[in-house]
Amino acid sequence: MLEVELCGIRLRNPTMLASGILGTSGAALKRVAKSGGAGAIVTKSIGLTPREGHRNPTVVEISGGLISAIGLANPGYEEFGEEIRVAREGGVPVIGSVYGFNFAEYATVAEKLESYGVSAIELNISYPNVGKAGAFFGYSEELASEVVREVKKKVRLPVIAKLTAGAGDIVAIAKACEDAGADAITAIGALRAMKIDLTTAKPVLGNEVGGLSGPCIKPIALRCVYEIAREVSVPVIGCGGIATGRDAVEFFLAGARAVQIGTAVLYRGITVFKKVSQEIKEYLEENGHASVDEIVGLALR
Amino acid sequence: MHEMQVVEIKRIIKETKRIRTFILDLDVSAIPGQFVMVWLPGVDEKPMSASYTRGDLGITVLRLGDFTRRLFELSPGDLLGIRGPMGRGFKVYGDRLLLVGGGVGVAPLAPLAEEALSEGKEVTAIIGAITKSELLFVDRIAKAGGRVLISTDDGSAGKKGFTTDVLRELLEEESFDQCFTCGPEIMMAKVLAITREKRIPTQASLHRYFKCGIGICGQCVLDGIGLRVCKEGPTFRDKELWKSPEFGHYWRNAAGQKIYFGGKR
Repeated sequence: MLEVELCGIRLRNPTMLASGILGTSGAALKRVAKSGGAGAIVTKSIGLTPREGHRNPTVVEISGGLISAIGLANPGYEEFGEEIRVAREGGVPVIGSVYGFNFAEYATVAEKLESYGVSAIELNISYPNVGKAGAFFGYSEELASEVVREVKKKVRLPVIAKLTAGAGDIVAIAKACEDAGADAITAIGALRAMKIDLTTAKPVLGNEVGGLSGPCIKPIALRCVYEIAREVSVPVIGCGGIATGRDAVEFFLAGARAVQIGTAVLYRGITVFKKVSQEIKEYLEENGHASVDEIVGLALR
Repeated sequence: MHEMQVVEIKRIIKETKRIRTFILDLDVSAIPGQFVMVWLPGVDEKPMSASYTRGDLGITVLRLGDFTRRLFELSPGDLLGIRGPMGRGFKVYGDRLLLVGGGVGVAPLAPLAEEALSEGKEVTAIIGAITKSELLFVDRIAKAGGRVLISTDDGSAGKKGFTTDVLRELLEEESFDQCFTCGPEIMMAKVLAITREKRIPTQASLHRYFKCGIGICGQCVLDGIGLRVCKEGPTFRDKELWKSPEFGHYWRNAAGQKIYFGGKR
């Protein structure tokens, strides 16, 4: 009932770990798959060289979510093979997230992750807190489609583009990515935000600004998925503030075929994937649906 | 929600030449072994064990790098941001307790000793440092009624050698219901090896590079067991640590690369 297919990849349930959460090591990813119950896991975004990221505080809790600026910290693609090997022991598809500072970096890292045995590549053109990487490419149709095109030349795996609502017209970006050969779209990544401490009159985050995630961005993410799913034919993966089965169902109705969960790990623990899956199942049963597929895009009709 | 609270430093105690305790204007009721994230506004944020866990929060800091150097420049009245207390503290269930602390690692063990002694338990603490003047909380634990055994690397006080040398000798003569340890990880790994032979259940407090401190970023997850030091830790049971190839061997830097203790690979 919960099984879905996403560009040729079968998921035992439609919940995926979102990139950037618990994704730095194989041990953490494996735990999210095994005891957490995720249907697929997306790694932390990996780049060409090791990066320590921004200095602390890198995360600050606010009502309704989190603002974070880890800064694309990662051990670099050469060391990450061992982590993917361990992550795959979790028994669910591992999706390799890739960022770059130029097209060639995206392509080189994607090619390497493919050789490590990931099931798909997710292109991080959504991360907003490092100058000319990530969202820098996701703000423009030309740059976004060029990243997709360059990566598609190098890998045979499905390529997913993860978009940012910071773009002026996210639907146009989604269409450009689809035209360039993207096999799926994830929407959305964290949104630029900040927090200032009143006592010291200083920005709290080491990077001053960060990415807002959690329940407070859900309505924005849902609107993006709805508008994108109306215009593209490739699968859309919903991401942004999903914490319950009812949240996930809203995204399915808006046209998403799967959902990514990140910040909700804070609220409901690592087993949030199991809990959300169970809640989706209950919704489907109560409403007489036999599968997730049956309700995908119902709100669009 | 773990909201950051910005509070004043009430008092600063010079414990040794390189170790200071900062007493903060923040009323807490923490379990010994729990930690707080300490934000020095505009500089950085680091995890620190609570060394005073009831009433005004205390943290005890070894001057080591840039962050702690900046911390040592502060005076009473200056501000620090605090998130927490967070994480899993020590769990006491026996009556005869053994504490093994090396260097600034005695910080979370001192409040544990005080609480246990006030509940009528017996506490023996092995405290080690490189030299006599760097010994931490010897008087504090003794004053609370604990028995203190000392080791120094240079022999300037107590036994010349390491805490593990004292531990090995002590366990030839006596037994304990539980052992608690905090200090350099190589020391803790040796403590666990010794107490395992003697079948004394042991809990260790680990230090790792932290980012979020709330269990979502994955930075501090231990290999082999997938447990988060900031969430399921920072105190762990021996049987959890035995299953981790990481414990006693390496940690991960901010980029997530493995860094081996003692620099070996």
